[in-house]
Parts: sequence; C-alpha cells; structure tokens
Amino acid sequence: MVAQGRIVWVSGPAVRADGMSEAKMYETVSVGDAKLIGEVIRLTGDVAFIQVYESTSGLKPGEPVIGTGNPLSVLLGPGIIGQIYDGIQRPLKELSKKSGSFIGRGITTTPVDMTKKYHFIPTVNVGDKVQAGNILGTVKETDLIDHKIMVPPDYTGGKITKIVSEGDYDLETEIATAEKDGKSTILKMYHKWPVRKPRPYQKRYDPTIPLLTGQRVIDTFFPLAKGGTGSIPGAFGTGKTVTLHQIAKWADSQVVVYIGCGERGNEMTEVLVEFPELKDPRTGKPLMERTVLVANTSNMPVAAREASIYTGVTIAEYYRDMGMDVVLVADSTSRWAEALREMSGRLEEMPAEEGYPSYLASRLAEFYERAGRVRALGSPERDGSVSLVGAVSPSGGDFTEPVTTHTMRFIKTFWALDAKLAYSRHYPSINWMNSYSGYLADIAKWWSENVSDEWFNIRNEAYSVLQREDTLKEIVRLLGPEALPDEEKLILEVARMIKIGLLQQNSFDDVDTYCSPEKQFKLMKLLVDFYKDGQQALKDGASLVDIRAMSVIGSILKARMEVKDNEMDKLDQIGQIMREQFKSITGVKVSN
Amino acid sequence: MTSDPKLERTIDKILNQTEVENLSSLKKSFKESLEILSKSQTSLEQEYDRIIDEGKKEAQKIEKQIIGGSDLESRNKQILLVEDSVQKVFEKAIEKIRSTNRDDKYSKLMAFLLAESTNALGTTDVIVYTNSKDKEIVQPLLSKFPDAEFSSDTIDCLGGVEVKSKDGTMTFNNTIDARVDRMKPLIRKDIAKKFGIGH
Amino acid sequence: MSKQGGVQYNKIAEIKGPLVIVDDVENAAFDELVEIQTSDGEKRLGKVLEVGNGKAIVQVFEGTTGLSIAGTQAKFVGKVMDLPVSEQLLGRVFDGLGKPKDGLPDPIADKFLDINGEPMNPEQREYPRDFIQTGVSVIDGMLTLVRGQKLPIFSGSGMSHNILAAQIARQASVVGTSDEFAVVFAAIGVQYSESEYFRRSLEESGALKRSVLFLNLADDPAIERIITPRVALTAAEYLAYDLGMHVLVILTDMTNYAEALREISAAREEVPGRKGYPGYLYTDLSTIYERAGRLQGKKGSVTQMPILSMPSDDITHPIPDLTGYITEGQIVLGRDLFRQGIYPPVNILMSLSRIMKDGIGEGKTRADHQEISNQNYDAYSRAQEVRALAGIVGKAGLTGVDLKYLEFGDDFEKKFLSQDLDENRTIEETLALQWDAVSLLPKNELTKVKDKFIDQYYKER
Ligand SMILES: Nc1ncnc2c1ncn2[C@@H]1O[C@H](COP(=O)(O)OP(=O)(O)OP(=O)(O)O)[C@@H](O)[C@H]1O
Ligand SMILES: [Mg+2]
Repeated sequence: MVAQGRIVWVSGPAVRADGMSEAKMYETVSVGDAKLIGEVIRLTGDVAFIQVYESTSGLKPGEPVIGTGNPLSVLLGPGIIGQIYDGIQRPLKELSKKSGSFIGRGITTTPVDMTKKYHFIPTVNVGDKVQAGNILGTVKETDLIDHKIMVPPDYTGGKITKIVSEGDYDLETEIATAEKDGKSTILKMYHKWPVRKPRPYQKRYDPTIPLLTGQRVIDTFFPLAKGGTGSIPGAFGTGKTVTLHQIAKWADSQVVVYIGCGERGNEMTEVLVEFPELKDPRTGKPLMERTVLVANTSNMPVAAREASIYTGVTIAEYYRDMGMDVVLVADSTSRWAEALREMSGRLEEMPAEEGYPSYLASRLAEFYERAGRVRALGSPERDGSVSLVGAVSPSGGDFTEPVTTHTMRFIKTFWALDAKLAYSRHYPSINWMNSYSGYLADIAKWWSENVSDEWFNIRNEAYSVLQREDTLKEIVRLLGPEALPDEEKLILEVARMIKIGLLQQNSFDDVDTYCSPEKQFKLMKLLVDFYKDGQQALKDGASLVDIRAMSVIGSILKARMEVKDNEMDKLDQIGQIMREQFKSITGVKVSN
Repeated sequence: MTSDPKLERTIDKILNQTEVENLSSLKKSFKESLEILSKSQTSLEQEYDRIIDEGKKEAQKIEKQIIGGSDLESRNKQILLVEDSVQKVFEKAIEKIRSTNRDDKYSKLMAFLLAESTNALGTTDVIVYTNSKDKEIVQPLLSKFPDAEFSSDTIDCLGGVEVKSKDGTMTFNNTIDARVDRMKPLIRKDIAKKFGIGH
Repeated sequence: MSKQGGVQYNKIAEIKGPLVIVDDVENAAFDELVEIQTSDGEKRLGKVLEVGNGKAIVQVFEGTTGLSIAGTQAKFVGKVMDLPVSEQLLGRVFDGLGKPKDGLPDPIADKFLDINGEPMNPEQREYPRDFIQTGVSVIDGMLTLVRGQKLPIFSGSGMSHNILAAQIARQASVVGTSDEFAVVFAAIGVQYSESEYFRRSLEESGALKRSVLFLNLADDPAIERIITPRVALTAAEYLAYDLGMHVLVILTDMTNYAEALREISAAREEVPGRKGYPGYLYTDLSTIYERAGRLQGKKGSVTQMPILSMPSDDITHPIPDLTGYITEGQIVLGRDLFRQGIYPPVNILMSLSRIMKDGIGEGKTRADHQEISNQNYDAYSRAQEVRALAGIVGKAGLTGVDLKYLEFGDDFEKKFLSQDLDENRTIEETLALQWDAVSLLPKNELTKVKDKFIDQYYKER
C-alpha cells in the first residue's frame, strides 16, 4: 500500500501532508496536482514533512500527495557518462526537450536512454555461481569507459540459469537470470540504488598512490591520494571553482563526477562547452567521455541541492565498484549545508551554531566517509577508489565558521585559499603556510619510484625556503628589505622565484594549465639549485645585486609557460645557463 | 481563469460593430502622429543649423536626443490614442451589457455565475447579492441552493452576483463588472490587435 | 491554480510588520498574488508566503501602515504576480511594482510573465563570449565585461558608482556590430536625485527610447523593493529572449533590497543568519543574479550590473559577500582613490571579472590582452606593497627596482585608471596605455608576459 494523503501546509520547499501513515522515512512522493517530486524527511502521527525538489509556487492545501514506495534512488547503468543531471538525476538535456530553455516542473524522464543499444560481451556462463558485485559482462560506454555490468550489491547470490550471447541490447533487456532456492531473479544492464546508502565493498586500503592533478602546488606541496579526501575553502573569487575545474580536467582518474551544488549556471555551461574539446593528456580522448555532471545551480530548488551530493557520490561509488579510480569534486559543500539549514529551519528544529542543524557535522562525516580506495565486491578481483574534494565557501571568508571547522575534522588535505594572494593575482591562491596534506609521507614512495628518489628532500628544501621567508617577512615589514644581510635577502629572492615560477600556475595558459610530474620536479629542482648555487656564490664573494641581475632568472620564472611537457631538455639548458652565469659572477669578483 | 463563452461572444459582437468607427479614428491618430514626427524633423533641422558650429560631438549628442525624444513623443501619443479607442470600445461594450435583455440566456448565465461562486467559496451556506434589475432572475435560481439566502440589499453593478459566506469571512465577487475587470488586460490586447497594433 | 481564484477573505488574525495573517482561508496557494483592500477602499498588493491549516501569511508590498484588523479584506487572485510585457515597455517609466508612473496607460500586453521567472536550464545556456566595449579603460582592459555576465559594482555611500554605471550604459557597445543595448534600470530605494541623474543621462544620449525604468525611490514602500528587481528582470528577459535585444540591466541599490528581505524575515521570526539577514539570503539573491545570461538559439542577452553600497565599506558584510559568491566578479570602488579625486575610483586588486578570459584575446580584442592585464595587476600589487613599505622605512630603504614600482603606481593611476566622464576610449587605446605603464619597469620584471609580446609592444621608458 502506498501512502495517499493531502497537503495541509506549504511554505517554500517545505510541505506538510496528512493521511500519510503509510509513508516511510526518505520515501519519494508525488506532490500536488502538478506531480512535483518530494521526499519524506519527518513523520509525526499521520503527518509527513516533505521536502520538495521543484518549485512549489501555486501549490495549495488540499491537493493530493501520493507515495511511490521507494527511497530516493539513482539508476546505475551505461549511459551515465557525458550526461548533465540535476540534483535528482534528471538529465537536463531531456528536460529542455520538454520545457525549453527554462526548467519546468513535474517532468519525469529516465536518467539514461533506455532504448539505446550497447554491445554486450558476457563474461559468465550458464551454471556459474554469482554473488553481489560479480561482473556479468562488459559494454563500451564511451571510448574511455569499459562499463562492467555487475550483479547488484544487494543480491544474495545464485546460479546463472540464462545469459544472453554477445550482441547489441538495450537496458531493459533481460541479459541474465540467476536462481537460488528455486527463486529466479532477472538481471538487466542497470539497477537502482538508494542515494543515501553507501554502496558496500569488501575492504578498504590506506591511500598510498597520489592523485596527480597537474597542479604544482597541489601535487608537489599538498598532495591528495587516490581514495583520499580534500577540502578547499576560500572567500569568493579566490579560486575554488577554477581549482576544482583543473582537478576535473587533469586528475589521473578514469571517471570524474563534477557536482555543481548551488553555484553558477555559467560554470556548468563552461564545463559543458570546454570538456568535449579538451583532450585527456594520457589517452588523447575528449575529457567529456569520462565526466558526469550533476548541476543544481543556486537558483534551482534548494531541496534538490541537498540531494545532489548524494546522487553524485553514489554514481562515483558505482564506477569505483567496476575497479576504476573516480574523483568527485563538489562545488560547494557550503551551499549543501545551507540547504540543510534551510530545511531544518522550516522543520523548526533547534538550531546549533549559526542556525545550522546539530547534525551538520555528522552529515559531513558521512559524506567524506564515502571516499576510499577499496577492494570491490564480487569477482574478478578489482580495486577502485573514490577521492572526494569539496569546496567550502565560508561567509566573509572566515575559516572559523561551522562548515569549515567541521569539514576540517573529516578531511586530510586542506588547501586554504587566501584572499590576499588572490588580490595580488597569485593563483592558485593556496596559502602555503596554512595548507596541509596528511598523505605526504604515504605517497613519497610513489614519487621516489616513479620520478626521482630526490623528490622528498628537494620538496622539503623548497618548502623550508618558503618557511624562512615567512619569518623574515616580519622583519622586512618593519625595517625594509635593505636591513637584511645578503644571505637572508637571497632567501627572499628565491622565495619570490618559487612563488612566481612554481607555486603560481595560470589555468588559462595553454602550457601552464597542466604540469607533468617530471616537469614539476625539474622546475622545483632548478629553483632549489639556484638557492644552493646562490648561497655558494655569496660565499665566493658575489653580491646579491649581481645575482639579481642574472638574466637567467627571467627564463626560470617563465619556464612554466614557455617550456612544454615534451621539451624537458630546455629545462636542462636553463640549468646549464644558470650554472654558467653563477660562475661568471663569482669569477668577476675573484679577478677584481 | 474560466472564461465564459457567452460573455465573450457578446463582447466580440460589440467589438465588431465598433471596430469600423474606431478604425477610422485610429487612422486619423496615426496621421497626427506622423505630423508630429515631421514637425519635429523641421525643428530638428533648425536646431541643427543653430548648433552646427558648437562642435560636432555636441551636435551629435543633441541630434540623438531630439530624434530619441521625438520618436518617444509620437509613440506615447500613439499609446494614448490607442488607449482612447480601447476605452471607447469598453464603454460601448458596457452600455450594451447594461441594456441586454434579461432573457432565458441571461438567466442561464446567472445560474452559471452562482454555481461558480459557491464552488469557489466551497460552501452553499451563503448570502447572494444582486442589483435591483437582476433580482427577479436570480432569486428563483436559489431554489437549487437550499442553504443560500437572498439579500434584500442590492449592490451597484452591471449584472451578475456577489456571494458572501454566512459567517461573513469570505466573499466572491462574480459581478459582470468584476469579470470584465479581470478580463480587461486580455481584452485590451485583443482590441489593439484588431486595430493592427501591438502583436 | 488559476481556476478558483478570486475569493475575498475578511477575517484578519494579525498584522505584524509587513505581514498580514488571514484566518479561515480555505482556498489559497503558495506564492499566490493577493489584493488587500483597506477599510477605506484603497488597494494594495501582496503575496502568500505560507499557507496551511486555515491560515495564510501574506506579505504586503506597499506595507501595512494604515491597515486594521476590522475592515481589511484580502482577495486571493488565483495567479502569481505577473507583468504585462510588450515592445511598448521601451521608453516607459514604471513604479517598483511595474505600474505606469509616466501618466500613460498600462502597456498593452503581448504576454503576461511570472515575475519570478524560472531557472534557466544550465544545459541550455550559451556561454558568454562577446566582448562589450565600455570605453572605460580600467573595465575594458582589466575587468572586461561580457554579454550575459553579471558584474556588480561594490561601492560605498557617496562614491561615484552611479556616474560610472551611467557612463557604461551610455557607451557600451559590441565592437563590429550595430546592435544597440537596451537598458533596463531598476531604482531600489534610491534617492530621487540619483534616479533622475540616470534618467537624464539616458535621455541626453538618446537612449531613453530603448530603455525601461522601474523606480522605487527612497520614500516609496520598502517591501515593494522585493518586487522591483524581479519586474525589471522580467522585462529584460522579454526584451532579450522574445525580441532578441541585448539588454543591460542596472539594479541600484541591492543593499536596500536585502534590507527589505531582512524586515520580512524578522517579522516571520525566522532564525536569523549573519547580521540578522535570513539564512536563505544567498539563495534569494541568486534568483535575481542568475537571471543574467544567454540562451542557445536565442539572439538576445541579459547582462546585469547590480550596484550595492557596502555598509561601512566592509566587503565581508553579508550583502557584498553573498553577492560576490554569486556574481561573475565584482568592480570594487576604493575610498582612498575616491578621496584623491580619481575617477573611476576602481580598486583593481579587489576587483575581478571572471568571464573576462572568454571575452578577450585574439579575434576579440588582441592576443596579448590577458597577459598585459596580468602584468599590470602584478605590478600594481607590487606598487601597493612598496608604497606601504615606503611609508615605514622611507624611500631610502627601497631598492632601485622598488622605486620603479612606485613610479609605475602613480603613472598607472593618473594615465590609465583616470578618465573623463564622457571619454570613450577604444580598446586599442586602452591596451596601449597598459603597455605604456609597464614600460616604466625593467624588462626582466615582466614575468607574466611571453617574450614574443614583449618584443612586439614593450618600449622601455
Ligand atoms: N589558477 C588560476 N589561474 C588563473 N586565474 C585564476 C586561477 N585561479 C583563480 N583564477 C582567477 O580567479 C577567478 C575566481 O576564481 P573562482 O571562480 O575559482 O573563484 P571561487 O573561489 O570559486 O569563487 P566563488 O566562491 O565566488 O565561486 C577566476 O575567474 C580567475 O580569473
Ligand atoms: Mg566558485
């Protein structure tokens, strides 16, 4: 029996209906004559409190509310990649076919095209025993994605009694039947999964492999690991979205889920326009062929904004279960928290700090807990990961507000954006003194095995220059730079060079936008060598004025833009010139 | 909004009758506005001569302003003229309605208005008001609504009913005046369209 | 919801602040338009904020002054508030609710549009790319405005934001096209003199005939301000997407809008967020600002330039803060520059145009545009640091290069930033001025520009 009630109260996205004693918590319901989609979020007696995912303008008490019997779920199967969905997995392209340029209401569509045929290659035979997570076969979803058709995670196991032969099938085709205790179950190329329930796996690993993003300040100084969690808080305009876009573009993962949660419409459009044209640096294929967008912009209904995070992470887990590395970026988790706050306010719950509900922290924890590198259910054996990165938009840029402080408890990499750096056009404006990564030690091994065994030491040397500069800055602020001895002035000079030549990275420059691990290392080494040679030159009698006048400095600082990834020898040449110029300045002094 | 076909037909008929007269008056107005435009053009020329040596930039600015201004002026004049015609049509229509025969068709219209009103209020426990002319027509219709009461007070309107719940908390104004009022923006568009103005 | 509208209720339970609470309401919808009639027959408009259990909470736009429990009637009209739109809107002046204020009749409607609009489907947006030349160097050179962008001016009391906005409205053009901008101007609680300045400026440039003005002045009802930007944007959307015009919408002053919102929230006794503004201020503002943009398959565009005055010049105040989180950049006016008499007093370091990168470059402005602009930002930021330092240690404590930066800062402010109220510079002039400014610095300092551009444009001074 499904619930059939009547609306008794409407206020914005919140609706109360009575006659709902049959309704279940988190059940989706159809609301009003317009058949809006809603979700039950509280039950008291026979009154259900419903958050509605569409505009409730014009809704009246007395109109019907009808249960669906199902919790809010996503449809998982081929056809997801390349899509742009709203917060409850309605494809925006299909919506536009029905309601034009603006989003209408009460429209239902399927999340993927159920009639599209995919070429299915079975990997099990009749008589095989299967259990949750087993792969039944594969289809090519895009050039980049071999989509594994899996036994749903909630299936208890059985024996295959039927499997179709290799061929083209649509999603509704019964590709297999499995039987257990005389009960047979039909399996299709898709299944549904409730978004608020994490998908199960066998076991979890510690993250030890870096998630390479091609962004120097991230990969080199504050790295993220595959299966790790990161957060990027910052005032408006400091570079959260650009950084997340960069991660979505260049991260070395197989699938990217991009959630635009309560942010700008044009930023989603930008992804839609850019990604099909950008090529994945590793495969040469358009980035859109590995990307899924979930877009619930700021002016779209807030309740669906709350759901969008779960929709996105469930899709991410699904591809993880196929054995892929998935990165999910959410811009911005603050808007999600605000949606929680708004619904909580309408529920007249007791507010905690700044009006946020007391369960804000636990919701954040639950979300970030869905990250991880795991051994998936079923056979064949496969490992996959979900890395989660969330932007945080603290009001007034104040990091002591609840969303930032709670988030910090549940993430391991923290990229603190700094408005002062952004004002001075130091991008990405990740503050190198306040940011941290909890994965640094774990992933150092990967760098030493794959790039250079000097990596960890050089990285720390470069970082210590920045740290020393930070303390010297105080003195400079009081006395001016000329008050310092040359050795210390050299630190200021090299720190400036590290900032301009390494930390800064222009996302909109064709060359600078992505930096290979090798180039990252070489640039860093060049700067550290400059520091060491400079120290030596000072000892050998050169002056700082001589060092500052070296023409090679310009080449070092512009190498990030002028030297392409396949021109590493140019960096070696710059190094060569640098050593020669150092020699000549000390040489001049000696002959004097 | 439920539009009542009978009422619309009446209005339509009236419109067609008045159309001819109004079209000619409108043509006249167009001519007038054209004249204004050409007059302002001559004044523009004089103005232009006077300021020609005050620097080209300034001259262009003022030229723009005058053209913009006179365009607007004649456009506004036109708006007023159209509005005049629309008002005339309305007045005619209302005259016609006022003098409609209280015949069988009219009585059916009243029955419809009554049913709609009680429906909107969600109750038949109501008091019904009409103007003095419609009294005899509406009162017998109430036999179908046993809870309804007919008020001896009359209201000032063209026709139709005003229905109040007995507890006095709700009123539904279903007089012809109120309906015409509600439909006015739509009707204005139709009339203007008949004159070939607007879209 | 249109079907059963029109019932009038007269049991008023409570009047508080801008709200009227009507009892025994059987038939009302959320968001429905309400006609309030006072005991002496005056009519006001309102809308339903909350309905249920026999009660409707109605927000009265013109305020509740003079309303009484007895004698006040509320008619639920059976539709949401809409605006009659047609080409005839152009050249007209309306009040803050969209009623004629120029003595002319209601425009004859082509359509009636819900003033709340609907959210644009992001999949249907056309990404903004067309460079708008405003003729103001600091904007064209460093904070480029693009068709379909929302770029606010953050100002403070008494500064020259209106003059700047008016100059932009007069001069804005898209190079290489003959499309003229239509201007929709919404005054939200501003003084008569400010709105009159704007009107006159449009008139003098002959732009009035392609402008629509919605005026809620300082002495007009405060709650009406909730509606003013929405009717203005509804008009703009019609002009843009139905008539194919490029529309520049100026909303001034959004601070007054947010204050009206706060007043309603307080009357509803909602849990307040920062500084008493409601927790949903962000979402609410976004339903205004996100109405800028372009659509696939439609010719027109809506470009927004909201103006807001930052209380105590504080950019972290919730109104500029949440605005900045929604808009595509911000033009920040600086008190210091203003005091020095510099016009336009734009603090470039705090300012930003996020879509600039997509509207400039080869084929649009010039290939070196982004880089030379980056270099000017970088140099001006250095100049500011050096100025601060010079204030402490004196010029003697500065290096030779530092002194060059000081010189750059002054030159930049005097020659590039400053310009006359009616000076309309081409983009070429603007770019040349940018190169002139950095040519004061030694070549080695130009770390943001590729060598090929240095070879082409740099002339050491
Ligand atoms: N790495 C970068 N390279 C070049 N420009 C950058 C970079 N990062 C940020 N920017 C500049 O900063 C602007 C603002 O960045 P972004 O949109 O990411 O800010 P945000 O933190 O997401 O702001 P909001 O909270 O308002 O969404 C960009 O439009 C761009 O001009
Ligand atoms: Mg952002």
